[in-house]
Amino acid sequence: MSILKTKNLKKYYGTEPNIVKALDDVSISIEQGEFTAIIGTSGSGKSTLLNMLGGLDHPTSGSVKVDNFELGKLNDEDLTVFRRQRIGFIFQNYNLVPVLNVYENIIMPIQLDQKKPDRKFIREIVELLGLEKKLDNMPNNLSGGQQQRVAIARALASKPAIILADEPTGNLDSKTSDEVIDLLKRTSRTFGQTIVMITHNPEIAALADRTIRIEDGRIHE
Amino acid sequence: MKNRNSILSTITARSFKANRTRNRVAVLAIALTTLMFTSLFVLSQSMTKNLIEMTFRQSGYDAQVSFKSVTEEQAEKISSHPDVEELGNSIVMGLAENQKLSGRQLEIRWGDNSYASHSFAFPTTGTMPGAADEVALDTLVLDRLGIPHTLGEAVTLEWRKDPASDEITSSTFTLCGYWDGNQSAYASMAWVSRTFADEMTAGLDSSGESQILGLHMAQVSLKSDSHIEETMDDILKDLDLSGLRYSMNLAYSPEMNASAAQETIPMYLGMVLVFIAGYLIIYNIFQISVTADIQFYGQLKTLGTTTKQIKKIIYGQADRLCLIGIPAGLVLGYLLGMVLVPVMLGMMDGQISVSANPLIFIGSTLFAWLTVLISCLRPARLAGKVSPIEALRYNDSGTSSKKKTKKSRKGASLPGMAFANLGRNKKRTVLVISSLSLGLVLLSCFYAKNASFDMEKYLSGLTISDFELSDSTHEDRTAGYNPNGTTLNQELSARVEALNGLEGIGHMYSSQLSLEIDHQTLQNLKTYYTEDVLKEWASYDKQGAQAAAQAMEDKKAAAVVYGLDGIPLDTIVQEQYLLKGDFDAEKFSTGKYVLALAPAIEKDSIDQNTVLPTASIGSEVIIGDNTYTVMANVFPVNSIANGAVEDTQKRQFHMSFIIPSEHFKELWPDHTLRKLFFNVDDQEIAAAQKMLDDYTRNVDTTLPVTSRKTMEEQYKEETRASTVIGNAISIVIALVGILNFVNSMVTAIVSRKKEFAMIQSIGMTKRQLCRMLVFEGLFYAGFTLLVSYTLSSLTVGTIIRAMAADGYATFRFTLFPLFVCTPVILALAVLIPYACFKNLEKQSIVERLRME
Repeated sequence: MSILKTKNLKKYYGTEPNIVKALDDVSISIEQGEFTAIIGTSGSGKSTLLNMLGGLDHPTSGSVKVDNFELGKLNDEDLTVFRRQRIGFIFQNYNLVPVLNVYENIIMPIQLDQKKPDRKFIREIVELLGLEKKLDNMPNNLSGGQQQRVAIARALASKPAIILADEPTGNLDSKTSDEVIDLLKRTSRTFGQTIVMITHNPEIAALADRTIRIEDGRIHE
Repeated sequence: MKNRNSILSTITARSFKANRTRNRVAVLAIALTTLMFTSLFVLSQSMTKNLIEMTFRQSGYDAQVSFKSVTEEQAEKISSHPDVEELGNSIVMGLAENQKLSGRQLEIRWGDNSYASHSFAFPTTGTMPGAADEVALDTLVLDRLGIPHTLGEAVTLEWRKDPASDEITSSTFTLCGYWDGNQSAYASMAWVSRTFADEMTAGLDSSGESQILGLHMAQVSLKSDSHIEETMDDILKDLDLSGLRYSMNLAYSPEMNASAAQETIPMYLGMVLVFIAGYLIIYNIFQISVTADIQFYGQLKTLGTTTKQIKKIIYGQADRLCLIGIPAGLVLGYLLGMVLVPVMLGMMDGQISVSANPLIFIGSTLFAWLTVLISCLRPARLAGKVSPIEALRYNDSGTSSKKKTKKSRKGASLPGMAFANLGRNKKRTVLVISSLSLGLVLLSCFYAKNASFDMEKYLSGLTISDFELSDSTHEDRTAGYNPNGTTLNQELSARVEALNGLEGIGHMYSSQLSLEIDHQTLQNLKTYYTEDVLKEWASYDKQGAQAAAQAMEDKKAAAVVYGLDGIPLDTIVQEQYLLKGDFDAEKFSTGKYVLALAPAIEKDSIDQNTVLPTASIGSEVIIGDNTYTVMANVFPVNSIANGAVEDTQKRQFHMSFIIPSEHFKELWPDHTLRKLFFNVDDQEIAAAQKMLDDYTRNVDTTLPVTSRKTMEEQYKEETRASTVIGNAISIVIALVGILNFVNSMVTAIVSRKKEFAMIQSIGMTKRQLCRMLVFEGLFYAGFTLLVSYTLSSLTVGTIIRAMAADGYATFRFTLFPLFVCTPVILALAVLIPYACFKNLEKQSIVERLRME
């Protein structure tokens, strides 16, 4: 069963004649539990596609279906709630909230939902990611790899069905990169999650179950 | 885990802490806004309070209802009614007629403590009289009688038991108590003991109409201030006393509250201005702060924070700022109010009280808080609405320029770059410029308004010579003017005439008699006093209008004849007061002509066809036994025509005429001088004043003296209030504007740290960067000044000119406050960028480039 589906998705920037077709008629379908890598050169439209899948950006036309929800039909507020409940994001620049410590960052999406965090589950993730001793640290006291692990922990904490990762290893050295990918694969398998990951590194893409190549806004599978 | 609270309050608290500079500026802005609200509230509340207090003092008591004539049993019955809070009793003996008291009514009465204290006449030193020979008086009376303020002094009062007879009773008492006199009331009290009262009234029945001795009066305080008349009627009905006549204290009438509200309207306008000024700065502060943190909010949004939750964070921060700023503003504002209230109310009599009504604090808090919330509306919406993707690209230049290309071959000049930088956030530039201009324009307007006041014009309406002395009964509207008074006697005239530097002198006599209205004059009256005019007259003076109608019906009026020479005559025949006709001094001195006074109508508003309600020029009037020809119609100049009439018993319609004083003295040889006018050389004014001060201290305490100088001082005293308040408000608003200006410039520079590092990295020198920043500041200041000068010129030139058109003002165009502020603003415009640049310099280019 496909959990992520786009149909004739288009995202255009600017107006004629300077139109930029970031996404041009993209239709893809991703199955539940799949670990998919999206690859492409810089400016190919891969980040735009990921943002569309996560409901961060609005398409010019076409539709995005996540878990049978038509994203275009949700208003801004509902979309936000939908996102924090079903999707975990991992960004290239980690996007940790600078005023919150590690633990607070991890449980933030859960608390925004006014739910109690599942302590046992969180401890499990924290141990898995090796962050036990860092929980009280503020983000600016962590190395890049540690920050990205916090971001992964945060993405996993609310047990989302889907994890969208935008070059999660882009700012990391190769050794740390391998560790992070390994962690992502392991946790997704452990918790049965679907992962869509952007990368421009073919070696990392090779670790995925499936690779989607995007060039000039079009899919070349 | 330490995090039990909601994540939102954690984020609110932490991001609050992360914005220290903004917080300081915002707290200052909120405190200033609250300060202005509080002091305006304090002022308006105190004004209302003091106005009501003053009305109480004018009506002479502060109970709700008074009875002019009741029996002791009735009073007792009323006091026992459950709706009655308190009842005070008094028994009247009569009016003191000591010569030294002329011009001031002194009522000899017995009163209980309640009556005395509700009449502002309870002894503050000593006690109410207990023994038969004791009396309590106020300081005004003691001063007139020349008795020192010491208990135990002997006081002799002359009075008549029966006003109809000539028999004068002289009673001597010992002073047992006194209090500060209430100048606003027309009469003073002389409290005597009940023993004395009973002695005097023994065997008397006070039911007679004209009988004063033994009249039993009562003042009733009710438990509630509302529906006084209904309550009182019900009380009387309950007690079977319906029909008993009472009068309600005017100070409790709804009109009183309405007029108090009217007095405070300028305060409410001030509050609107404060709101605008507060909005402009608080909005700007939050807008800047939200814009700077927009990526942070975008990130929160990406992580699933809803719009509502983000708004909550912003409002949460605003509330924290209020929590510090508002109490500070309340305290400072109340202190400022305490300083300003006495200044503002300086002209009012009696004790000034600064209102500490909790409403002031609740109101100010609410207003300030609302201002902050409204100011945060848009910034909160901006933060809440931000799309996660856009947040990452968002920068301070705000809405992306619509301009796609820029035709320029001149290259990047420093002023050119500075100018372009100013245009990057037009909204903010406009905001800051309006904020600062608001204060400056207000300041200019207040200044121009005050500067346009024309003291000469104002004084000419009040006094026509350096000094005006009058008979002590000149303005006695209760007993009437006494034409045989002795205040202005030979000795005093001689003293005046002997003054050094005497430049001019003038006399005024007056007499009153009855007049048959001739046909032509009657026509004039009927043409002028139409039904509508009378109706309007009746709306504020029913008796006056009735008297006029009666006079036209009976063809009878009272004639007031003035005998004038010197200053008053020269004044009233001046061009601006000569409403109709021409003055011929030679003909006038023959004594066969009169000048007829018209009502106070501005000369500009009449022409030759206007009918004035007085005798026509050329017509003959018969006054007493003589026939006169009317030479001209003149304006009733205040100094001449503003005195009391002789007969105050019955309200009559008056027509006034002027004849030469020589002629007057022949007709009424035993009438004494009513007013003495004189001018002295400027250098001798102080000496003349000293002579008069000595005279009023040692010879005659009752002599009324009006001097141009004291009028001038009195006016300044009275208007200092509005001047001070107007200036205080506009200065605070200007301060808020400057704060806004400084804050915007500082944040604009700090937020571009990285950008500056970038330009420096490609070769701009420190000097050039510094100059560019100074240029930016100067452009900012230049625009502000341009707007302020333009708007001030416009408002001063139109609104203030229009305001100056009526009243005692002569419009003078001035932008003085702007001239003063110009160098200050220019200096700030140079200093602030320079200081910011010095601060920037502390970090190396590389450090700044790496900054997030």
